Amino acid sequence: MPLIKATDIACQRGHHLLFEPVSFELSLGQSLLISGPNGIGKTTLLESIAGLRTIQQGVIHFNDIELSKNKDNWFDQSFFIGHRTGNKKELNCLENLRSFLQIQGIQISEQQAEDALQAVGLAGYEYQFAGSLSAGQKKRLALARLTLIDFPVWILDEPFVNLDVEGCDWLLGILKQHMDNNGLLIITAHDNREIQELVSHKLLLESSL
Amino acid sequence: MNPFLALVKRDLTLGLRRKSQIYQPLVFQLLVVTMFPLGLGSGAKTLALIAPAVIWILALLASLLTLDQIFKNDYDDGSVESYVLTSYPLPLSVMAKVLAHWLLTGLPLVLFSPIIAVLLHLPSSSYGVLMLSLLIGTPIFSFMGSIGSALTMSLKHGGLLLTILVMPLLTPVLIFGASAVVESSLGNSATQPLLLLSGLLVLSFTLVPFASAAAIKINLE
Amino acid sequence: MHKQRTNAIVTLYHKLGSPPSFYRISGYFLKWLLLLSIGLLIWGLYEGLVLAPADYQQGDSFRIIYVHVPAAWMSMFVYGIMGLCGIIAIIWRMKVAEAVMMASAPIGAWFTVIALVTGSLWGKPMWGTWWEWDARMTSELILLFLYIGIMATYSAFSEDSRKAARMAALIAVVGIFNVVIIHFSVKWWSSIHQGTTVSLMGESHITWDMLRPLLIMAFATKFYYGYSMLKRARIYLLETESHKRWVQDTVNESNNGDKS
Repeated sequence: MPLIKATDIACQRGHHLLFEPVSFELSLGQSLLISGPNGIGKTTLLESIAGLRTIQQGVIHFNDIELSKNKDNWFDQSFFIGHRTGNKKELNCLENLRSFLQIQGIQISEQQAEDALQAVGLAGYEYQFAGSLSAGQKKRLALARLTLIDFPVWILDEPFVNLDVEGCDWLLGILKQHMDNNGLLIITAHDNREIQELVSHKLLLESSL
Repeated sequence: MNPFLALVKRDLTLGLRRKSQIYQPLVFQLLVVTMFPLGLGSGAKTLALIAPAVIWILALLASLLTLDQIFKNDYDDGSVESYVLTSYPLPLSVMAKVLAHWLLTGLPLVLFSPIIAVLLHLPSSSYGVLMLSLLIGTPIFSFMGSIGSALTMSLKHGGLLLTILVMPLLTPVLIFGASAVVESSLGNSATQPLLLLSGLLVLSFTLVPFASAAAIKINLE
Repeated sequence: MHKQRTNAIVTLYHKLGSPPSFYRISGYFLKWLLLLSIGLLIWGLYEGLVLAPADYQQGDSFRIIYVHVPAAWMSMFVYGIMGLCGIIAIIWRMKVAEAVMMASAPIGAWFTVIALVTGSLWGKPMWGTWWEWDARMTSELILLFLYIGIMATYSAFSEDSRKAARMAALIAVVGIFNVVIIHFSVKWWSSIHQGTTVSLMGESHITWDMLRPLLIMAFATKFYYGYSMLKRARIYLLETESHKRWVQDTVNESNNGDKS
């Protein structure tokens, strides 16, 4: 039985459909790469799956229950990182990491947070305000959350953007580890070759016009 | 720490680091109150007569200055997702946001009000009622403002729209709040308007978080 | 038997809920609503302005109530309809409810403006001033602000009309709770500030000859609202569904009709 089953889902902007309705089935240990030209609605689709938007057409089943009726369960098992990083510029890296997860009900110790920052290459920046970080460092700070959670489903919108080669390698490593741990991944990535080889499923969005 | 307290703590930290959100409304109040004697003449009697209304209208305007910030920053940097994409009920998170906003902007207005009252020659016997009425009334500003802020958070220049939306909804607060102070400055009992004001607070406490949560969800689409 | 009946109601609900059938069904009513409203309007105004006896205190100036009172009634009636449609639009996401709500907003706002202007015109001979902060006029003014807020919200999000409509719906629903609170708070406020003033609708005994034109006008404005609202809602649906098949069919049909 697939964990996530999407049937004929489509997103609207205003009144027109963004892309031809899509269907997919994913079980634990599988991963899906969503691709398509700019403006086709990859982010909109990802945000709809994550639960930020309502799905306007079609239906997603999670654990065989309709997602819209199973929201709490879904939120407890899925983790989304979008194109807006969610970092507060007036908080330092440690505070950012801890407060974001605490608001989601996840408790982490200061030591854990420090280890996470070290893992993403932000050691030494613990007490620096997020506002003073570069775009790539901000992305790393957001991605550091992934090392602190044990959610089976990861939904990542363009996680490779702004990352340098080293950062990309680190991210690929942690994604591979997630898959090996029987995790589920839904991802968009524009121009990353290695991710193409990593994922088990691919979905190309096509214009509905 | 549960999500509610974590959100309150985070917003208080942010507010205390930004500071401008706290002191600028107070400076604004002082500035505007300076205009009244300059425009009306400095007669203590005239000023005392208009003092209850002026103090309350100033509190309303000063609150309006910061209301759009309740959700706008969180929308812009994406941290709004941290309390939308969780099984923790969104109306409770709204309440946490409102509580933090009130502690940062409403409470200073309450504490600052005696200074404005002195400048406007409000009879000192009314200070208690003035502060009590603001203590009950300013949280309603934050509650109602959260609806407006949730509705306008995705707009670049939503401040004016927020004012147009929220001000009419706040007229009852102004009516009861100002008349409580008027009654007490005339030496009458202010119990009735204060009770009505408390009623409004209870209503907004119970209903508004749901409306704001709905507005956030619609706005994210 | 009973089951069939509920089915019929459910079918009607679903029919009115789908934009194409709403468009088709409402088309039958337009002409009749317009004719009824014009007929009743002429009759009501003639009775009210010519036939009804002059008031023994206010003379002929009281005749403005035949415009003022129906307009004030409509300003609240339309707001109620909008609140109702707003609830339907938020909970069931029914597109026709969004259309009816947004179509109602400008009509309601204009009725409010008419009520305010005629009230002020009446105030001059009555109170000797163009504007008096009496409870009804103040509530009416705040109601106008609420209408403006709903329309401003819609236009602020105009790039996505469905989101815009749902945002406006939320304001309408919040407003409906508030209208009641505002009304009572303003009444309470005017009672402590003014004591007893001459209210626009005093407790003077109104005779049947005076009341009849008022009721006729009340019906005339309702029918006018029905006509204008349906017409606007139809245009709203054509605009927002312009990519859909039924709209293209409808447009082609009416083009062919014009040619033949």
